[in-house]
Amino acid sequence: MKKLFDTGCHVVAQAVKCADVDMVAAYPITPQTSVVEEIAALTESGEMNCRFLPVEGEHSAMAACVAAAAVGARAFTATSSQGLLYMHEVLHMASGCRFPLVMVNVNRAVFAPWTLWADHSDSLSQRDTGWLQLYCCSLQEVFNTILQAYYIAERVRIPVMVNMDGFILSHCRMIVNMPDQEIIDKFLQRQPNGWIANPANPSAYACVTGADLYPGFREELFNDTKNADKIIVEAASVYRDLTGFWDGDLIDTYRCDDADTFIVTIGSMAAEARLSIDLLREQGVKTGLIKIRSFRPFPAAALSAVLPDGARVMVLDRNYGLGTEGGIVFSELKASLFNRAAKIEIANQIMGIGGSDVNYQMMADAVTSAWDIRR
Amino acid sequence: MLEIRFHGYGGEGIVTLAEMLASAAIKTGSQVQSLPSFGVERRGAPVKALLRISDQEIYIRSECRQPDILVVLNQKLLASAIEQGIKENGRIILNHHQPLDCSYPLTCIDATKIAIDENLVIGRVPFINIPLMGAVAFEIDVPFEKLEQAICEKWTGNTGMRNAEVANIGYKTMQERRK
Repeated sequence: MKKLFDTGCHVVAQAVKCADVDMVAAYPITPQTSVVEEIAALTESGEMNCRFLPVEGEHSAMAACVAAAAVGARAFTATSSQGLLYMHEVLHMASGCRFPLVMVNVNRAVFAPWTLWADHSDSLSQRDTGWLQLYCCSLQEVFNTILQAYYIAERVRIPVMVNMDGFILSHCRMIVNMPDQEIIDKFLQRQPNGWIANPANPSAYACVTGADLYPGFREELFNDTKNADKIIVEAASVYRDLTGFWDGDLIDTYRCDDADTFIVTIGSMAAEARLSIDLLREQGVKTGLIKIRSFRPFPAAALSAVLPDGARVMVLDRNYGLGTEGGIVFSELKASLFNRAAKIEIANQIMGIGGSDVNYQMMADAVTSAWDIRR
Repeated sequence: MLEIRFHGYGGEGIVTLAEMLASAAIKTGSQVQSLPSFGVERRGAPVKALLRISDQEIYIRSECRQPDILVVLNQKLLASAIEQGIKENGRIILNHHQPLDCSYPLTCIDATKIAIDENLVIGRVPFINIPLMGAVAFEIDVPFEKLEQAICEKWTGNTGMRNAEVANIGYKTMQERRK
């Protein structure tokens, strides 16, 4: 096990190197820039055996990754905010073509007005592109999740987006323990390819498809994205057996066993929220934390299994669901629990927009003020 | 958990200062987190960085509002640094040539003079972060050998040796003050 002390962006580059990626195409954008710089440096020095393709924009970056995956290469890109939005059309192509890509999105709020800092409106606005979405709350989890993302993508043949909060994680330096390469190689054994493009034997792929066949492809993608939950659980469990690391699977829980009140959140807030739980418990509120790790597929059954009848749930969203009554995670959670017979109270607090500071007292306050709990 | 917030101007090297102290603290077996100011990095603009050192896993991701120690690289930034928050029983290390009155315990160290005297200057910029590394390491009880190791891993060969020597002057200066 090698100890790494570096920034979140450099941890991403190390994980990509360990994943034995064949091709990286990327375009720099704050706060993702040093992911691209580091991968460029590692490939240039020969430390990383990989083709690095500097492209003229994110639309091309994703298109190049799609092409690489089409010939059976393990491909990677990273982006953020406007860069992810610029990719939008090709994201649908990647999932529709069933290419097992992995992308890191360094979460950053969207224009307008201009900003550089973290929130989740970039990735959540790509909710329906057919990509699986995983969210991380520590640098160790970022490293682990990139490896798990390839495990998942190559088995379900659906691309995976790994999300980490801009600056809060991307520019933060913390200790990351890297499992030995032979263990990683064992975890990430190459899977047999499906269809691949082969110039020696030309064929067409994803051509114009009429109403006789198109619905079948979409239904299959619909079912497979939903059923990817089993592989996400498997990836986390196999990874734990091999490395000892555990960040949760679809969700992670903290002090939920006897809880009647819950914080549900996503991204880096899920780390500090542990301290909110400790604080609330000191004040006599039986609180537990649910970190949503997989937003797509949405872990409806896993969440419902943790929440007892009559539970009070505070969803902390780092985004606005424009035109709805709150945040996007809140709407998703509410919809997923709607058919539960017994009442569950679900409240919502939007915080951390555009990188505004969120600390554990603020998250605890959201709980106490929602149910008028005296402190 | 020990929290330190650094204030300086862009280009003075506070990010490296926080990073080296973190690397040294890791060598004592601690968990660490260092984070530069959230912002667009510009030479000459006020910048800050934070460092957290703990014997347990660090879950905090928020800004550092109540640090145990403020490290201020320029006296012009002192008032603003204090205004941005410090623990009630917090203390301050300031790069300054003479003692100052302050509402918190304040130690002045002339890191600029040390850097110039030791010829640690490139262009016309003295590397004040190097003597300050030693000074802060002493203040937070990180043994000098650990800092020296961290410095020599970051900068190889003669550069590392020279930086370690100058950091040691900062360390010893604080040691003298303590006596």
